[in-house]
Amino acid sequence: MRQTKYTLFSVGLVRGLVAMVIGMLAGMGLLSLIRLLMGLPAWNAEPAWVLGGVIGSLAFLAGIGAMTDWFKWAKGEQTPEHPAHDPEQPGWVKYLSFSTDHKVIGVQYGVTGMIMFAIAGSFALIFRTELIQIGLQFLSPDLYNTYMSLHGIVMIMAILLGVGAMSNYLVPLLIGASDMAFPRLNGFAFWINVPSGILLLSSLFLGGFDTGWVGYPPLSVRAPLGMQMFFLGVYLFGLSSILGSLNIIVTALRMRAPGMTLFRMPIFVWTALATSIISLTATQLIALSFQMVMFQRLLGMGFFDPAKGGDVILFQHLFWFYSHPAVYVFILTGLGVISELLPVFVRKPLFGYKWVAMSSLGIALVGFFVWAHHMFTSGMQEFLRVPFMYSTLLVAVPTGVKFFSWVATIWRGKLSFETPMLFVLGAIIIFLIGGLSGPPNGTVATDLHVHDTYFIVGHFHATMFGGFVFPFMAAVYFWFPKVTGRMYNERLGKLHFFLMFPAFFVQSFGQMFVGLLGMRRRIVDYPGLEFMQTPHLLITIAGFVIGFSVLIFFFNLAFSARRGVVAEQNPWHSRSPEWGLPSPVPVDNYREHPFEVVGEPYDYGLAGSAFVRMVQPVAEPATVD
Amino acid sequence: MIVSSHPLFGKGIKRLLESRFGEGVNVVGMVASVEEAIAALMTLHPDLVVVDYDDGAVNREEFLARFVESEHRLRVVLLSLKEGGSNAIVYDRRTMAASQVEDWLKEWADQGSALSSIISMGKPIVQRSKFLQMKNNLIHGFGALVFVFIMTAIGLLVLRTDILLPEQASLQAVPIDNLFGLHFRLIAFLFALIVGTILYSVIFFRRKKGDITDAVHITGNTNLEIAWTVVPLITVLAFSFIGSDALAKTLKPDPKPLEVKVTGQQWAWRFEYPDQGIISNELVLPVNKQVVLRLQAVDVIHSFWVPEFRVKQDLVPGQVKILRITPSKVGSYQLMCAEICGQQHAYMVAPVKVETQDEFDNWINVQLNTIPTDPVARGQFWLDRYGCKACHSLDGTKLVGPSFLGLYGRQETFEDGSTAIADEAYIYESIREPGKKIVLGYPNAMPANVAQEMTDEQIQDIIEFIKTLK
Repeated sequence: MRQTKYTLFSVGLVRGLVAMVIGMLAGMGLLSLIRLLMGLPAWNAEPAWVLGGVIGSLAFLAGIGAMTDWFKWAKGEQTPEHPAHDPEQPGWVKYLSFSTDHKVIGVQYGVTGMIMFAIAGSFALIFRTELIQIGLQFLSPDLYNTYMSLHGIVMIMAILLGVGAMSNYLVPLLIGASDMAFPRLNGFAFWINVPSGILLLSSLFLGGFDTGWVGYPPLSVRAPLGMQMFFLGVYLFGLSSILGSLNIIVTALRMRAPGMTLFRMPIFVWTALATSIISLTATQLIALSFQMVMFQRLLGMGFFDPAKGGDVILFQHLFWFYSHPAVYVFILTGLGVISELLPVFVRKPLFGYKWVAMSSLGIALVGFFVWAHHMFTSGMQEFLRVPFMYSTLLVAVPTGVKFFSWVATIWRGKLSFETPMLFVLGAIIIFLIGGLSGPPNGTVATDLHVHDTYFIVGHFHATMFGGFVFPFMAAVYFWFPKVTGRMYNERLGKLHFFLMFPAFFVQSFGQMFVGLLGMRRRIVDYPGLEFMQTPHLLITIAGFVIGFSVLIFFFNLAFSARRGVVAEQNPWHSRSPEWGLPSPVPVDNYREHPFEVVGEPYDYGLAGSAFVRMVQPVAEPATVD
Repeated sequence: MIVSSHPLFGKGIKRLLESRFGEGVNVVGMVASVEEAIAALMTLHPDLVVVDYDDGAVNREEFLARFVESEHRLRVVLLSLKEGGSNAIVYDRRTMAASQVEDWLKEWADQGSALSSIISMGKPIVQRSKFLQMKNNLIHGFGALVFVFIMTAIGLLVLRTDILLPEQASLQAVPIDNLFGLHFRLIAFLFALIVGTILYSVIFFRRKKGDITDAVHITGNTNLEIAWTVVPLITVLAFSFIGSDALAKTLKPDPKPLEVKVTGQQWAWRFEYPDQGIISNELVLPVNKQVVLRLQAVDVIHSFWVPEFRVKQDLVPGQVKILRITPSKVGSYQLMCAEICGQQHAYMVAPVKVETQDEFDNWINVQLNTIPTDPVARGQFWLDRYGCKACHSLDGTKLVGPSFLGLYGRQETFEDGSTAIADEAYIYESIREPGKKIVLGYPNAMPANVAQEMTDEQIQDIIEFIKTLK
């Protein structure tokens, strides 16, 4: 029997990184050549790094094998429809290499997301420590501004990766598909995130940037080189978003099991669909706005330079046209997790399933019409503020439908409180805090006071924690036995929750409190506001407690994946089809265990009802490769 | 009782049981279908039912599902006479969890035959009287209402504008704070409504230990859905309307306001009173008189905010923006830049003093008399007023730009390697065209239009002052 030897170079990531370095150097060299031919001195750092970054990222993708099949097709070669899966491949090679299996990709997204989450969280703890007291203790203003900006954008990236993890892993399993519609595209879309993250974090070493994650010109035009790495990094992970959402939409619409009408899909698939519709159509705008600033920096084009006839506020319109819908991308799948898990833990149907499904589309739609509520003080046309206020408050209606449905689902249920359920309940309450702090921001007059203060910071941290972080953790705990075949440690899970939940309350209310009383955002120091030092101390301590609880979470996952108790097939007694599969899920999902839909997804309490019935698989004709 | 459509199965089992257990076993019936079996359960009341697992005509899942619905306490055995693996499975409704049925059906299945469906083991249909159901609902409903009421009360005690907002020092703050108050009250109620109900549920709808049955099968209620869509819709429309009204109130122009031109630059504020002819680095305002601030940014976006005045407006390069404030309370406040504008953004603050009209007029006079007559002193005065000291120190400290100490007559080396003596022409050029020569080791950060408002005389005064810094 031939033993395949796995070396460092078997790992796709290693090949990709080597290719990336070569590509960056080639890009820089190319840039120098062009400059010499133009009669300019050979070296200019900024365009060199930008071109190097672009070519390096493409080289990474080629090196890791994300484009190999496409190159083959370009040459007229055939490739197998289903790539051969090598059961001998050790885990560390499999997960660090290019794969087309949506489950592997889902885990890759999830782990990468958790790493970025830890990095962004660490940045926050660093600058939060500086904020405990008035005066500069150990951070210079420039370094503070860079950490603060990176915290924002790396967190956003971590959230998108987490959304990608859940959507990619779950959608095919929930609808009975063997994989996504476009597996190669799926793998490609994941690996874009690695060069993207590298470029983003490289900004730390290239002078940083001081604009916050929004990158408003003119400040971003005069910011150091790190600003370009930020623009390039975001541009890339925007591409990943677009390609991933394309895949989800086609998969959900075309690959459902027999009998699964749209209104018999698990509710999570509805939210993944709504999320993907937003990602697919809006992401282009942030790329465009950043590209315009890049061109202003590199080529002197005056889009946002009043001296050249440009308009500063134009950037904000283009930027927020994506970035507002983006926040619904962040939270919709998390809200889908809440809707998906509640019935399982209260043993009762999801109340008003159709309305909940429609509300996701409703949020997605209305979300496109509210962007200028980020610009009430920007100096845009004054009259515009009123229609945007109306549309902004309107989002509360479909969101309310979800909240009331959850409460009605819980009402008269039979609640049990395993870790996933704790995180679901925590998510609902925290997202409620975030959501209720929305209207004061949405009515213009009150926004004039709170805009650019810590009240806003409190608002979006609550919506992000409630809409993404808590549900993501609930999802990880919930599906952990199906993914790994082992059970996580329940006591550590509860410890994680009972540290994180109260700490988050302290952080949230602390932020909103100081914000209302005069604490601006994005400031390294708050001279003159001595009375705020105690609240700031409490907020920072809360941050550290949250960080510690996340470490417990990571430890629990890592330890239990290897040494946890072997899990039953369906520990939660869920009706959902993926729990009819063995754990871990076999490579081709339902190919040997297909099912047909025979009932409604959430008919808990209806005796003798079933959602799916596993059928005898049809013998497949032998395929010739 | 034996359930099988194959007569031989029944006969064989009967003989087996009778030979093993003799008098202790009495086969009370042999039926051939699920319907007959269910009917027979009612009449025969067997203690044990043996079901032929391999019989295609007997739908065992259906039998189990319907069997579970009933209240019968008896044992069921699914018996397979096929080769391999365990041949019989005992299902005892008292000791085995209903949900474990699917698991051990799968055990069977993994022996080679098809998987079966995941069945919901519903709650046994116990016909509670409608009256009892309603009474239950009412009690729970009332209980939850109590929780909601108490939490709302606590919320209203805590969420108050007089604790949570800075003091009110402008007329514009009044409609804003009233709107905040409205928001806070609604937030208190809605938070209590949702969290109170959840809290009630967490306490009173817990699953009892060992209970593996499902809860009541309620899928929705269209009237409720419509209600909790329409009521919030009306509420948000009302709030938007009230919000527009509040905004309009903050924008009401006074026919004869005080004019102040506000210039924001990295990282200082400058206030010019064109009608009074003075420039200041502090914003001094007479109480109860509307000031119209004409906001201009020189370099990047800044934002004008005094928390006690509430209203805020960005300063946008290339455009003039208006903000109207009517200070209503004498006192000292702090103007803070509220849009990230670079390194020293946190420190871009300026004092704001609201005084009586007499005190204000007095201050104007003092300012007019403060402009020194001596060119050197005047030069220092302009450096203060125009914010130059945010980047250029007078004592040798290296800030963003070169220190003015010892500047005059010094040989400066530039980025491109060239040098020059810092004479009058050099200093003049450095102010009028800051980007022309960049001193080695410093960034090209001086705004190009800082000096647009400076006259040649003012620049000359500055040069005279710098000459004295040795």
